[in-house]
Amino acid sequence: MRRGTLLIIPALLAGCDGRHNWLASAGAEAQRVEELFWVLLLGAAVIWGLVIGAAVYAHRRQVDPSLETQARRFILWGGAVFPTVIVGALLVWGLVILRDITADEGDLTVRVDGERWWWRVIYETPEGDVVTANEIRLPVDRTALFRLTADDVIHSFWVPALGGKMDMIPGRETTLALTPIQTGNWGGLCAEYCGGAHALMRFDAIVMEQDAFDTWLAAQAAPAQIAGDDRGFEIFQEEGCGACHTIRGTDAQGPVGPDLTHLAAREKLGAGIYDMTPETMARWITDTHEMKPDIDMPPYPDLQGDRLDRLVAFLMSLD
Amino acid sequence: MRHGSDKQPRHFTAPGDAPRVIDQGSVWILVAAPSIWAAHFLLSYWVAAIWCAKTGPMASLVEPRWIIVALGLICTALIAWLGVIAVRRYGGVFVIFEEITESSERGRDRFIGHVALLLCVLSVVAIGFTVIPGLVFATC
Amino acid sequence: MTDEIDLSRLPPPEPYDEARDTAQRKRLMEAWREPPGWKIVTAVNNSYIGKWYLLTSFGFFVFAGILALMIRAQLAVPGNDLFSQQLYNQLFTLHGTAMMFLFAVPIFEAVAIIILPEILGARDLPFPRLSAFGFWCFVIGGIFVCGSIFFGVAPDGGWFMYTPLSSDPAYSGLGTDIWLLGLSFIEVSSIAAAVELIVGVLKSRPPGMRLNLMPLYCWYVLVVAGMILFAFPPLIAGDLLLEMERAFGWAFFDPDRGGDPLLWQHLFWIFGHPEVYIIFLPSIALIATMLPTFAGRPMVGHSWIVLSAVGVAFLSFGLWVHHMFTTGLPEISLSFFSAASEAVAVPTGIQIFCFIATMLVSKVRPSVPMLFAGGALAIFVFGGLTGVMVALVPFDWQAHDSYFIVAHLHYTLIGGMLFPLFAGIHYWYPFVTQKNLNARAGKWSFWLMFGGFNVAFLPMHWTGIMGMPRRVWTYDLSDGWAVLNMVSTIGAFVFAAGFAVLALNVLWPRGKAPLVKRNLWNAGTMEWAAEVPDKPWGVRSIPYIHTRYPLWEQEGLVDQIDRGEWFLPDAEEGKRELIVTDILDARPLFVQRVGGPSFLTLGAAFCLGAVFILATFHLWAITLIFGAGFIGFTLWWLWTGTSLIPEKPEKYAGRGLTLPTYAQGNRSPGWWAVFITMTGDMTAFMGLVFSYFFYWTALPDFLPSSAHLPGFGWLMLGLALLIGAWAMTTAARETLGHGQRGLAMVLLIGALPMGALGIGAWCWSAYSKGLDPTVQSFDAMVWMLILWMGLHLLLNWVMHLYVAARVKFGHCTPEYRADLMNLTLFSHFLALTAVTIFALLALFPLLMGVGP
Repeated sequence: MRRGTLLIIPALLAGCDGRHNWLASAGAEAQRVEELFWVLLLGAAVIWGLVIGAAVYAHRRQVDPSLETQARRFILWGGAVFPTVIVGALLVWGLVILRDITADEGDLTVRVDGERWWWRVIYETPEGDVVTANEIRLPVDRTALFRLTADDVIHSFWVPALGGKMDMIPGRETTLALTPIQTGNWGGLCAEYCGGAHALMRFDAIVMEQDAFDTWLAAQAAPAQIAGDDRGFEIFQEEGCGACHTIRGTDAQGPVGPDLTHLAAREKLGAGIYDMTPETMARWITDTHEMKPDIDMPPYPDLQGDRLDRLVAFLMSLD
Repeated sequence: MRHGSDKQPRHFTAPGDAPRVIDQGSVWILVAAPSIWAAHFLLSYWVAAIWCAKTGPMASLVEPRWIIVALGLICTALIAWLGVIAVRRYGGVFVIFEEITESSERGRDRFIGHVALLLCVLSVVAIGFTVIPGLVFATC
Repeated sequence: MTDEIDLSRLPPPEPYDEARDTAQRKRLMEAWREPPGWKIVTAVNNSYIGKWYLLTSFGFFVFAGILALMIRAQLAVPGNDLFSQQLYNQLFTLHGTAMMFLFAVPIFEAVAIIILPEILGARDLPFPRLSAFGFWCFVIGGIFVCGSIFFGVAPDGGWFMYTPLSSDPAYSGLGTDIWLLGLSFIEVSSIAAAVELIVGVLKSRPPGMRLNLMPLYCWYVLVVAGMILFAFPPLIAGDLLLEMERAFGWAFFDPDRGGDPLLWQHLFWIFGHPEVYIIFLPSIALIATMLPTFAGRPMVGHSWIVLSAVGVAFLSFGLWVHHMFTTGLPEISLSFFSAASEAVAVPTGIQIFCFIATMLVSKVRPSVPMLFAGGALAIFVFGGLTGVMVALVPFDWQAHDSYFIVAHLHYTLIGGMLFPLFAGIHYWYPFVTQKNLNARAGKWSFWLMFGGFNVAFLPMHWTGIMGMPRRVWTYDLSDGWAVLNMVSTIGAFVFAAGFAVLALNVLWPRGKAPLVKRNLWNAGTMEWAAEVPDKPWGVRSIPYIHTRYPLWEQEGLVDQIDRGEWFLPDAEEGKRELIVTDILDARPLFVQRVGGPSFLTLGAAFCLGAVFILATFHLWAITLIFGAGFIGFTLWWLWTGTSLIPEKPEKYAGRGLTLPTYAQGNRSPGWWAVFITMTGDMTAFMGLVFSYFFYWTALPDFLPSSAHLPGFGWLMLGLALLIGAWAMTTAARETLGHGQRGLAMVLLIGALPMGALGIGAWCWSAYSKGLDPTVQSFDAMVWMLILWMGLHLLLNWVMHLYVAARVKFGHCTPEYRADLMNLTLFSHFLALTAVTIFALLALFPLLMGVGP
């Protein structure tokens, strides 16, 4: 225990507000778990210390007959009664927190469909569904209700800083309520092994003020604004990208891959793993499987030079 | 060659045959209390799961809750009865420093009764734990 | 006759005669000696099988450990490309699979095989050939599964193989089939071990060792063997469903066809949770055995530890959904499992407190085993405490599938299972080899492993809190996990170094080292009565036991045993003999002759191995040929080795005791073996019944309209015929008992066409209504239940023909009819299965208002 503790301290100091950290408590649900966590940690440390301390004491203590009574009490109270009371109390507390953090409705409903290895995101609004992918923005201090499912295998939706996770299971719809209370860019992850590139299935959960969020959502709802003579868009169509990808407002209506209508407005590329820059975009197209092995999207190594640059410029204009 | 300490109890059948369920000397009393816990646990789980699946995700749990509590009380009563058997028929005692090492049928019975009694207590506690969720949750 | 014997007042032994002693020892040696040279592979004695089992299990441990080091090497730095994504996914899957299935469970079996007979003063386990068979199945299965990685086809779906990742052929390849079929071996050898150990503990104790005198180790083994019977079979049921979907497209886990991925999780975890207690309890049993030795006094709270073992065994079956807390099941359902998960902490802790209490009232001698035991305690308690944390649903919603869980599981497994095992190795090495390990190396290995382990796994709690999920082959520097991962990697290599020291210590050739003194640790339990150097016959004579710690409390016992003053000091007929006793008081019941070295077990294991391996590659024709070979070997083994009519009905067993040499019905170990195996079979069947009701609960329209239900009339007819067949079998037992051998044979053979018509009627009931198992889950369940019954009927027919042949050739007679009694027992279970299937397929729909 001693050796481990020393090494933890620098990590502790660095990490409490890491973007994937449970204890960042940027969501109301995560905050409830954080309260539980500190009590449990302290309690566990004390109990571990007492038990090991008792063992050390028992080992060292000189034998004498009065110890039999101590031993008897130790087994009955220490072994049976106190643990029962403690775990019973913890159970009740845990169940109450569970009851409090689950909700059936929210201020906002977002459907997320897990795919291998990206996220299909659909905001439900009175005006209709707004489709995007791989990035979720949320208004602060509002409960977002996520309706989760998956088409292929089991995935799991997790933004540790905001709250716990929920699995996305083919054939079922599960729900998760998250109430962000701090703005910021928080990390989302897939938390159920889904084969292949599971490790590279991430997303950003960006929490903003309500009006900023409304502006963003309205922009997302709008179709893409593409100039009629955009050479990059022609290349996009020539290469057949529209068979898999959708750009609303055009005849690219492919449902297989992520919606690209407002691709460049996202912070990251490839499902939360690379910064959205022209260089990464270019490499993504030509060396797809080096960037993310085993995915369905084929690489286009023959796209080079000017042709590639125009395509990338087009894609970077989709904001 | 017969001696009192080793005399067969009246109802005991020939050695080697599977002991009958509630005869003196039967080992089934050891597993009876935890089995009752298991039955209560499974029934509670199934009642709640089927109720929630068939009535919908927001169904009120008031009715199944009372089923679970009622089952819990019945099972606790059954276990209490087992505890009484353990004490009376087997001579079980509640001790910590158990040294029931007498090499005789009486010793063996007392040991079985003692362990059975401990298991009765544990099983009742575990049933109590199972009832708590029914009391905390009002809807599925 | 036996109920009149008072074991405490036996006639005194005959005066010691050296010539007689030498002659008896010579005959014992003749009977128990194992074959020389390469024929040693046919050995079945527990000392050989146990040692090989132990070494093989550790071999797989090393293999899985190397995989772990590869994992840690890959994760040491962010963005690492030491191993590819594809290979890494195989690495962690195989690491978990091999550790759990090829090391953790087999090692418990191995240790029990070595120690249990000795601690009971018995010469061997009741079914030595069955242990040997289980061992060879394990070796073949393990090599098959582990070898796959050298061909790049190791399973890669995680060690618990969630569906649909593992059920959809689009997402998983040959590796999954290798996992499924390779594991079938392990399941077979585990059920075999469960049979051995339950019968061993209940029926081959030394005369006089009543239940209240039985060592704690035996209680733990008994309880764990019982758990295996209820935990492994649901996994077998799940494996069957998964393989039928993968190989033949049956609709169990595909949601588009009424399947449900969650069913696999239920079946797997109904196995998986008790599994970890199956792994943990036998190791704690080792500490419960060693501690009194070093404390020099009996264990305090002996019966409270029995309470712990039995309590944990039962409660552990109520925890399984805690692995599914994040699957969206109703909160009330989750809460029951949270409640049981918290409750199980109480009996788990009680045994630890009993250990500490024992330390309090005694002076524990320092030694390497106690050092490892202390380390085990420190680590396991920590793991148990994080377990209490993750048993709370909201906490688990964060911790699940993160490195926090990886930390928790390694603390409990390594603290609760591995360190006690290492303590046991240092303690029992002198027992197995008659030499001692190097204490200094022992201490070095301990501190390296203890330190390395904590450096590796303690930071992982924090890594999990920082959000690192499980099963990721790489991560980015910006995630903030790099330092923690590097620290963990360093710790892992230090731990590995410590293990290397231990391995070196154990494998060091000690040919020239001096023999240890007898009962080196001055222990109180019977295994230390073994002579030094070791003899293959175990104890020289089987003693009467009337205390808990016989070597401490029964004056002069060892000398008496050595002089042959107790039971069975001789092997006059040249056979291997044990005494079978009753469950409660260990009254001697009869003398059992057990099998010696044989090629048959090897042949059977090899053929069964071939069956599973060839089935993986869908080579059905050759599979059937080897299947026939397996049946052939097994029948030959049974014919020559079981229910043999003894050359004399009774034999003198020493000290005035004359015992029968044959038993049948519920007095015979063979009957118990069938009973226990069938219990396991019923729990597997219960897995299928569970699946049926699970679908009904989860799917709103599982039960189809009456037009699509299997035909009620045909189901009725089929049931009647199947029950008729059962009646014929039972009648055969009665008629044979009355001496009518011919009629008995007719009844036995006649049961076959009866049964065939019965299952035929059932098949027709489904086929005529157009039920197609590849179309939807209801159809698949109907056909699965019919298939289950059909497979069991096939087995039943083979057994009927076998018993009929035994009757014909005079091996099964009105007086000696154990074979037929075992067969009837099997048939009772089948009848119960038939009635249950009928209730599910015919009556339940009626109950739910879907008419015929």
